[in-house]
Amino acid sequence: MTGRNISWTRVDMPRRAFLKGATMLGMASVAGLSLPRAAFASGGTLKTRTYADIRSMDPAFSQGVVDEEIQAAIYNKLIQYKPGREWGWQPDAAAMIEQVDDTHINFALRDDIGFTNGFGAMTAEDVKFSFERIIDDALESTNKPDWGPLDHVKVTGERTGTIVLKNAFQPLWSITLPYIAGNIVSKAAFDSVGGKIDTQPVATSGPYLHAGWEPKQKTTLKRNPDWKGEPVAYDEIQIFHIDDEKAAEIAFEAGELDFTRVSLDSVERLKSSPIEGATLEEYPSLYYAWVGMNLDNPKLQNHKLRQAIQYAIDVPSIMAGAYFGAAEPSTGIIAPGLPGHREASLTGTSADLEKAQALMAESGETNVSLTIDVLNKSANVTAAQIIQANLAAIGIALEIRLHEGATFWELGSNEDLELVMNRFSMTPDPYYATSWFITEQAGIWNWERFRNEEFDKLHLAAQSESDQAKRAAMYARAQDLMEESGAYKFITHESTPVIYRNSVVPALRPDGLPLYRYFGAA
Amino acid sequence: MLSYILRRLGLSAAITVLAVALLFLIIHMIPGDPVSTILGPKASPELRAALEARMGLDRPLPVQIGLFFMNMLRGDLGLDVFSNRPVTQIVLGQVPYTLVLILVSILWSAVLGIALGCYSAVNRNSLGDRLTGVLSVSVIAVPAFVVSLYSLLIFAVKLQWFPAIGAGAPADWGDQLHHLVLPSLAIGLSWVGYIARLVRASMLEVMGEGHIRTARAFGLPERQITYGYALRLAILPTVTVIGVGMGFLLSAAVFTEIVFSRPGLGKLVIDSITTRNYPVVMGSVLVSTLIFVASTTLADIVNAILDPRIRAGK
Repeated sequence: MTGRNISWTRVDMPRRAFLKGATMLGMASVAGLSLPRAAFASGGTLKTRTYADIRSMDPAFSQGVVDEEIQAAIYNKLIQYKPGREWGWQPDAAAMIEQVDDTHINFALRDDIGFTNGFGAMTAEDVKFSFERIIDDALESTNKPDWGPLDHVKVTGERTGTIVLKNAFQPLWSITLPYIAGNIVSKAAFDSVGGKIDTQPVATSGPYLHAGWEPKQKTTLKRNPDWKGEPVAYDEIQIFHIDDEKAAEIAFEAGELDFTRVSLDSVERLKSSPIEGATLEEYPSLYYAWVGMNLDNPKLQNHKLRQAIQYAIDVPSIMAGAYFGAAEPSTGIIAPGLPGHREASLTGTSADLEKAQALMAESGETNVSLTIDVLNKSANVTAAQIIQANLAAIGIALEIRLHEGATFWELGSNEDLELVMNRFSMTPDPYYATSWFITEQAGIWNWERFRNEEFDKLHLAAQSESDQAKRAAMYARAQDLMEESGAYKFITHESTPVIYRNSVVPALRPDGLPLYRYFGAA
Repeated sequence: MLSYILRRLGLSAAITVLAVALLFLIIHMIPGDPVSTILGPKASPELRAALEARMGLDRPLPVQIGLFFMNMLRGDLGLDVFSNRPVTQIVLGQVPYTLVLILVSILWSAVLGIALGCYSAVNRNSLGDRLTGVLSVSVIAVPAFVVSLYSLLIFAVKLQWFPAIGAGAPADWGDQLHHLVLPSLAIGLSWVGYIARLVRASMLEVMGEGHIRTARAFGLPERQITYGYALRLAILPTVTVIGVGMGFLLSAAVFTEIVFSRPGLGKLVIDSITTRNYPVVMGSVLVSTLIFVASTTLADIVNAILDPRIRAGK
């Protein structure tokens, strides 16, 4: 397995120096000093796969990676994620971008980006419109929280402006500007269709054009002939919507896909019997899976009992049985490479049966029977069965309750919940992880009803903390608090195995998600 | 005949209304909140309330059913909660894929099944009959998803004769037919065996009847007796089974559409149920019910045409 240790490249750099560097990098790019890049062949069709059909091409209403994978290729942002094994960003539509103080970010747009369908050049007014519409309550955008404390965007020239925040917001650089909410759309185009769109973009500006969408089948992107930026490798990208990973693997083996994510249980087979002319690579994921305990449930009031459960669960067994050895145990909710990732958890990863039994005895609890609610995916079910066996060793009878997706995700409001095997998605900033476990979220997404004043304060303070070392320490402490409560046993961040033909030079985020605009052909 | 058809159509309308109302209740009674699924984790309570109102979920269930039927009569099945596209447009866009898949599957399996059934009946207890019997029972026992997976591995991965995913280019009939081969094989294979056994049994029963003996006594050619008289009667239960079988084929299409990543009603229903996309679920269910009711009604009418005793109500 290669490159498992990812890190946010700018973490240790003082922010000013980092921003100066970023500004210069952006200017250099505009001046024609292109970024170092492999020499790609050009032309042809890239056939790839996404796990679901698109929902919206409007950045205000897109909800995740499926839409964003396409939007990142057809729209531009001020900055984009940088492909590679380490988290970072690079300028896109921004010729210059600089944080002048905690609440002001100046930017200048490149002068060679235009919108399709005759909607003209990209201007600072488009940037203002794109960002401010998301925080406008009247639009009811589901992505408003991504813009955090955005106050407004001040237009200072045709292609220059300032993003004005109400207070400092560090995630802006990691999950706002380079992700969904950072896509820049054409104000004139949106005005022409009443202010919002659904699955059909009105005007785009990226290196690829949205050439077609066949519902439940595929999305086709075509090379934008008017694109003046770094040339792209493919004439056409066909993105097939294939829900089932096994079906995608078969399609890859049949030669109908050039790139796809594969299932964890196929990794061993693909390693031992490699597909000719293809490469398998494993990327660490940002997802986090854990076992949660409802602190409001009368059966789980005993702190020693919860601790006994924490020490009884054997995470390496779960990695071997449920994740086929293709994932690593986690130490918290923040993955390696992000600020606040802990090198070790407080309760360890391997079971400590002696300690668990001692804690059980101290708790004074006997004949304990509990339930664990689980999403009916094979990895979760197997993990729950292993946990059942682990807890049986300390005298706890565990009943497994399986749920289909929509039912499972409703369990948060169930006050009778006892144990739950849970898994949340994640974006590359620790702020996104801690935001679900604050007191305000109890009974909503904080299913454990974990309420801790210090945790809430840390979450609030860390999002504005500009000293990255201090910020990391705050998030590490926040995870300590979670674990000390006895309500959490962290399991894994999973992994993202991908396979691609050797004729393709994939450009992936450090968590293995594709950035199609940067894909190359060998 | 006309009164029979009208009676049958009236019954079909009643079945449709009842089935859709029942499914509406079931879908709304299962746990799972569509608003959470649609808006995602970041939605504010105000946003949730607004969407609930927009979807009509804040109204009593009987009112929701009533509104659904009123809108349905106007041809309005609502809007997809994710993309805001009309549900009618979404569902009708998927129907051709499923219909073509089912019709092609039933067509080739009926042609082959009837031929094998006739052959077995005419050559009763021969080696060919026994071989056909063994093969028929074997393929009946194999579920569609197993055929799907093995046909994919053999014909798509190993031999690369047929494509593994998709439905083909929209304007290219040849490509679409090419993409239909493996999915229709998966759905139709067990029906070949089923129809062959059914036709054989019916043929043997009919061949033993008085009018066939009389025809033989008159010296009519065996070919004319078999295909002109016996098969015409023996085919009746097969027509009924094919009509009812459309429902089973719709279920089989769900698996097949997922395994072959084909668009279609089955995939649409599964996707919309898992996301609690109520308008699309109801639209898909309504159309699936209509297809099923229409096919059974059509089978009844064909039976009535073929057998005068049925239209006489005997």
